[in-house]
Amino acid sequence: MLPFILVGAALAAFPLVASSNLVNIGVYALIYGLAAIGLSLLMGLAGQVSLGHAAFFAIGAYTQAILLTKYQVPGALAALAAALAAMVVALLVGLPLLRLRGHFLALATLGLGIIVSVVARELDITGGTSGIFGIPKPAILGRVYDSPREFFWLMTPIVVLGLLLASNLVRSRTGRALSAVNDSEVAAECLGVNTFALRLRVFVLSAGYAGLAGVCYAYWLGIVSPEAAGFELSVQFLLMVVLGGLGTVWGALVGAIAVEGLDETMRVLVPKIVPGATGEVQLIGFGVVLVLLIVLLPGGLAQLWAMTTARWRRRTGPATAAEAAAAATGEDHREPAEPAAGGSPSAALAQVLDAGQVPDRGTVVLAVRGLTKRYGGVVAVDAVDFDVHAGEILALIGPNGAGKTTCFNIVSGVLAPTAGTVEVAQRRVEGRRPHVVASLGATRTFQSLQVFGSSTVLGNVKVARHLRSRSGVLRGMLALTGREERAVESAAQAAVAALGLSDDTERLVGDLPFGRQRQVEVARALALSPTLLLLDEPMAGLSGAERDELAALLRATRTAGVAVVLVEHDVEAVMALADRVAVLDDGRLIALGSPAVVRTDPAVVAAYLGTDAEADDLLQRATQSAAEHTDDGVLG
Amino acid sequence: MSDLLQLVFSGLANGAVYGLVALGFVAVFSVREIVNLAQGEYSALAGLSAISAVAAGLPLLLACCLVVPLVVLVAVAIERVVIAPVKRMTPLISIILTLGISTVLKAVMLLIWGPQARGLGPFPGRDFLLGGVSIRSQELWILGTAAVVGTAVVWFYEHTLRGKTLRACAEQPVAARLVGISPRTASMVAFGIAGFVGAVAGVVSSPIYFSSWSSGLALGLKGFVAATLGGLVSLRVALMGGLVLGVLENLVAGYVDTGYRDAVAFLVLVLVLLVRPQGLVLQPKALRV
Repeated sequence: MLPFILVGAALAAFPLVASSNLVNIGVYALIYGLAAIGLSLLMGLAGQVSLGHAAFFAIGAYTQAILLTKYQVPGALAALAAALAAMVVALLVGLPLLRLRGHFLALATLGLGIIVSVVARELDITGGTSGIFGIPKPAILGRVYDSPREFFWLMTPIVVLGLLLASNLVRSRTGRALSAVNDSEVAAECLGVNTFALRLRVFVLSAGYAGLAGVCYAYWLGIVSPEAAGFELSVQFLLMVVLGGLGTVWGALVGAIAVEGLDETMRVLVPKIVPGATGEVQLIGFGVVLVLLIVLLPGGLAQLWAMTTARWRRRTGPATAAEAAAAATGEDHREPAEPAAGGSPSAALAQVLDAGQVPDRGTVVLAVRGLTKRYGGVVAVDAVDFDVHAGEILALIGPNGAGKTTCFNIVSGVLAPTAGTVEVAQRRVEGRRPHVVASLGATRTFQSLQVFGSSTVLGNVKVARHLRSRSGVLRGMLALTGREERAVESAAQAAVAALGLSDDTERLVGDLPFGRQRQVEVARALALSPTLLLLDEPMAGLSGAERDELAALLRATRTAGVAVVLVEHDVEAVMALADRVAVLDDGRLIALGSPAVVRTDPAVVAAYLGTDAEADDLLQRATQSAAEHTDDGVLG
Repeated sequence: MSDLLQLVFSGLANGAVYGLVALGFVAVFSVREIVNLAQGEYSALAGLSAISAVAAGLPLLLACCLVVPLVVLVAVAIERVVIAPVKRMTPLISIILTLGISTVLKAVMLLIWGPQARGLGPFPGRDFLLGGVSIRSQELWILGTAAVVGTAVVWFYEHTLRGKTLRACAEQPVAARLVGISPRTASMVAFGIAGFVGAVAGVVSSPIYFSSWSSGLALGLKGFVAATLGGLVSLRVALMGGLVLGVLENLVAGYVDTGYRDAVAFLVLVLVLLVRPQGLVLQPKALRV
């Protein structure tokens, strides 16, 4: 809270000491800064960029101008309507486009900017090319905000409040989930994060900020013209965010001040250097700074600040590792992790796994029928059937390329099957997104690590509580989440303790050795309180002792009633751990049964040893036995 | 009827320019997975430079032939100096970076040529009437050039070894390097082609559609929309997409309102993404998890 009060006080004091001309520039910096804060949320949180943010700015400004001059609507009401108008347009644009990966939102918003200025020029109600003028200056309780100084004071609380709300959002459940998406979209979705819905909300919110900035702009200039939607302004907003530092809302304000300063300097300087230069001459400065930033300082001023403070700290004395980690993640330094209830891993596990949610032992939690995945002519998975029951460990084994991970990808919603059905908790999920599968209680870990690299161990695990907490964008912005956050924290702590990671809670996950990172993934998956846990090679990279610990943990998880499916290369470990083993070869399920049966199955032996002397005979028997075992499996 | 034919024909000429620009997007995207926002600027730069060269006394066609390699050089130089050094090229970074390049190019053009739009003198030839449709010789120049350049670029990518290696680089950079294809060269060639098609589009279109410091923005957006129709990877569909977009724009301008011409591209983009996103999404990298 203190930084916001300090910045508020500094801003409030500025008009008292600065010249009227400087205050005038400052007013623009605050107005544009408000829009830049919104854009910074979009770029930092949603990982998307808008090249037409001025469109939302203009929609806000025009709505305000029309409502004030043509319909005499009270100012505050008009401002609300203006911000809403911008948000509705963002919703309409975002709905189709945010579903797509890649560059489409950027280019579509660029197009939107062009459309808004075309429409503003064409319509009568927007006053054509000359725009709308005669917008009255705002008056609150008889005080008229008409001088630069007065207007600056009017803007200060608005901007500080906007900054506070935005920075709350970054630290909220929504911010945590989206930051995870930026690190690994697939992992976040498998933990129940609905990327599309959250991105859409942030996009709409950022348009709201821009719309509100447009309202201030209309009030300040007293006139709105099609230039308000101009591409140059959109570039300016973008530059503010990049200069300040992607991912920091504070940066947007600092960037806004810096860019307004640059703008003013260029307008004075360029005509002196290039005689006769007219028009948008400041653009040369914007372009050069933008390119230099990306090439030399992609983190913007925030990166510079972090580098400087790190150097200063190194000079004054070595910081503790925890402090450095806290500084790197922007999180407050915390006391060492409090021991989870009971202290022992098994007690911690019991705390994480929600007993009330787990179905009765033996209930079918995953039913796969005729699962097929083709890539062109290659059949990766070929008509595979199996069931998984609550309270059992099923191991999926097979040679490389047998289709094990593809099966996992289809079950968890990462891939859509070519044919076949997948039922999780009696609900058909094939072809649905991973977050839908996760919402039914199924989650997974990954063969190639998918940890959230910019976050700590605890931060990684907290993401898995996404579905077990509810607060949305609004509650996040207002920071009314204290109790829920404490619950998330304690559940995450318990999951961390269950894997014996309590000493590393506050370390950046990327600093851990490979095997520990795997364990973080398992802790993360457990923290979802799953009913179905899919583990893709969880033993890889673990030491012998760590393997034993993990095996014990998985047994305890099974005992708690969770269904565990395991892909693993270490066949001996699998045979010791699993209740049933399914063997895939070349996409087909060639055996399914107890470890003892599978171990001696000739088709399995052939698949692993590659004897093709009696291939035909073996193949025939394999098909038979696979069919028998599949029947066993179904009957359970 | 002749109204319609007239609108369609001049729309085709207009669309051929978009198609050429779209080729530039595809050329760069298929090798570097970058949407090059400076693509439109190559055209503006070529148009304005040609105007200056003619003003300096050079014959028109010679001026054009000099300007095109010059712009190719600029495009490649920018790739070397600014784009190549960036190690971690995420979509977000690539958009911001090429936006920055585009802004610098725009600003430089504004400082050199000022804010006014101007046109290059028309290429040799005479306008004529055919079945009630007035045909400007410049439009034939545009269509002819687009046909020749478009065919050449498609042929280069699909039938020459060098063209095929470019695609290989995009799909498997490591494997391409192992068999001796340099991603560095591939990237330079891609930007060179982008500069080439952009510059050609710029000089042939300048006599009718004019060139100015800011004309690259709308041109670039429309080229992108055309390229999107081909999923940003198909050269043929991108060229065709340009023609379709040009005709649509002309029909809207003729039958609805000239002012709304610039809105067409955006609506096409959104509609296409709504109706057939699966055919148009950027080919997702095979997810390895």
